[in-house]
Amino acid sequence: MTHHTIHQSADERFNPVAGVLAYLLPGLGHWYLGEAKRGLLIGAGVLWLFFGAVLIGGIDSVDRVEDKWWFVGQAGVGPIAFAADLVHQTQFKVVDSRGQLQTPPPGPDAKASKSIGHANEIGSLFGAIAGMLNIMCVIDALWRPRIDRRVRIRSASASDGAPA
Amino acid sequence: MILRLLAYTPFLDPMPMPGGMWWLTLAPLALGIAVVYKAIKLDDMRRYNKQVAMMTTQIIVVMVALAIGIQLVVGWLTPLLGG
Repeated sequence: MTHHTIHQSADERFNPVAGVLAYLLPGLGHWYLGEAKRGLLIGAGVLWLFFGAVLIGGIDSVDRVEDKWWFVGQAGVGPIAFAADLVHQTQFKVVDSRGQLQTPPPGPDAKASKSIGHANEIGSLFGAIAGMLNIMCVIDALWRPRIDRRVRIRSASASDGAPA
Repeated sequence: MILRLLAYTPFLDPMPMPGGMWWLTLAPLALGIAVVYKAIKLDDMRRYNKQVAMMTTQIIVVMVALAIGIQLVVGWLTPLLGG
């Protein structure tokens, strides 16, 4: 009886809408599940790290083309990462002498400058960690019960004598 | 350095860091990780602030300890073994 109750609860918990919302905007999935404070903290933490990445490494630390593997991690932040990359690719890159699209080196005419050295490494790292943490949050939102439903599950488990 | 700071445009240019000070970014990184991780992990949010402070401190202390350990190996043990 106890196993049956827990199994049903796990099935009942799966919530793809919360997962999609959590990916669209960090913290929104938990907000949707009735946990506004948790959602706000997740959003604040992930965005702190992502905007910290752009603050430290410049817009060049988010680059789908030149730093593909870093961007795989950063993409976990969701549409915000793709928007930052789109702005970078379309607004700040110039064609260099070899005909390739590059972020220009520092100079009076450069709208944004190439990120190198520690600033680039740390910026890329902040962004990738933000993305991976948000993926954890998406997974958590997918299987976290809604707050009202969790109370019901706990009550049912308590009446069965099973741990919640 | 002053000229680099004056020329810096936040969010567009990479932040000018005085030589050797880049490791200070470990603190905001550790804080961000702790804020998100504990928001998922904790059931009882009343302990949240304390847990975040503790995890941030743990990350920083362990990273500093690792840095000291690696410095000892590279700067002291390796030359000693090399004669």
